[in-house]
Amino acid sequence: MIKIYSTPTCPYCITLKNFLKEKGFNFEDIDVSVNHEAAKEMIAKSGQMGVPVADINGQIIVGFDREKIIKLLNIKE
Amino acid sequence: MNQNTNIYELVIVGGGPAGMSAGVYAARKKLKTLLLAKNLGGQPSEAWQIDNYLGLPAVLGIELAEKFKSHLKKFSQDIEIKEGEIVVEIKKTEQAENNLPLFNVYTEKEKFPAKALIIATGVSPKKLGIPGEEKFTNRGVVFCATCDAPLFKDKIVAVVGSGNAGLDAAIQLTSYAKKIYLLNKYPDLHKGDLSYVEKIEKSPLIGILNNALPKEIKGDKFVKSLVWENVKTKETQEIEVEGVFVEIGSAPSLHFAKQLLKYNEKNEIIINPETNATSCPGIFAAGDVTNMPYKQIIISAGEGAKAALSAYYYLTKT
Repeated sequence: MIKIYSTPTCPYCITLKNFLKEKGFNFEDIDVSVNHEAAKEMIAKSGQMGVPVADINGQIIVGFDREKIIKLLNIKE
Repeated sequence: MNQNTNIYELVIVGGGPAGMSAGVYAARKKLKTLLLAKNLGGQPSEAWQIDNYLGLPAVLGIELAEKFKSHLKKFSQDIEIKEGEIVVEIKKTEQAENNLPLFNVYTEKEKFPAKALIIATGVSPKKLGIPGEEKFTNRGVVFCATCDAPLFKDKIVAVVGSGNAGLDAAIQLTSYAKKIYLLNKYPDLHKGDLSYVEKIEKSPLIGILNNALPKEIKGDKFVKSLVWENVKTKETQEIEVEGVFVEIGSAPSLHFAKQLLKYNEKNEIIINPETNATSCPGIFAAGDVTNMPYKQIIISAGEGAKAALSAYYYLTKT
């Protein structure tokens, strides 16, 4: 189960979401610029305020960390 | 380390406007080209709204970056693009082919041989270098206003910097923040475009602090306050803020090519303005990483094209 916390104008958020779509992964797309409860949830989970934050089955990744995401999702490149 | 036995005619390092424009030109000249970038997009992706790129008035930075990317990717049959790649070193080898020296471009895992290079690695944000900045990065200290401004809804924030990036950040924040302090180290706002200055002066949400230098960022888990000094009176004041947006300009990072290329005191690669050639024959450079004086997207795109054409003529001269 993948949750992505992002804002609409954040370039790395868009890169991350496009990357997941290209690799065929579904995810819950949470816009923290309008959903303030989700913003608080994101800050609590990640201990920080930067976007994007990915919650991949409970593992939290801050920013577009391509290597970590490839590892966590077992993506073959 | 993987040894790539393909020799590229051209390797472009950097995926911003200069690198992408160079990529389009190199692809259309059918040069065997590899473009290596950490991410495609560059500085435009992090700008809010761009109103000086000819033909695209008031375009969102992210939209402009996406247009550049799709234009480049249209040529993906003719140019190899590798994202997520950071170049750690460039070396000139002892070998040559057709009298042209060969270079090796090293990432952490691979080596790419090439006959010509274009360095278009741009710049990274400058840091304040004050206590609390490292500690509170992403805990209230922000370097990408466009990314994170929405997270500061109804909060009081400070923006440090009075060039266009700082003014742009302050204006963006008026959609979210309760109050914005704009810290400007000069006596007045003369660095940015007047069109921005006018908006800032009219906004009831923005308090301009002139002659202001940030000294310390304080807080516990997240930022709670900022101490600043008046450069004239030397008085310090502490303001309660939950965000500090750092927009004080940027500088190139050249660690991978310093031993090969001549650069100036700002770490900018010195180029021949007509050909974009660097001090090392076979290596060209374009965009904000060079010593060309004006750092603008449209100029970088033009410089990338020039560099690619120069590389083409360098490679095909007999």
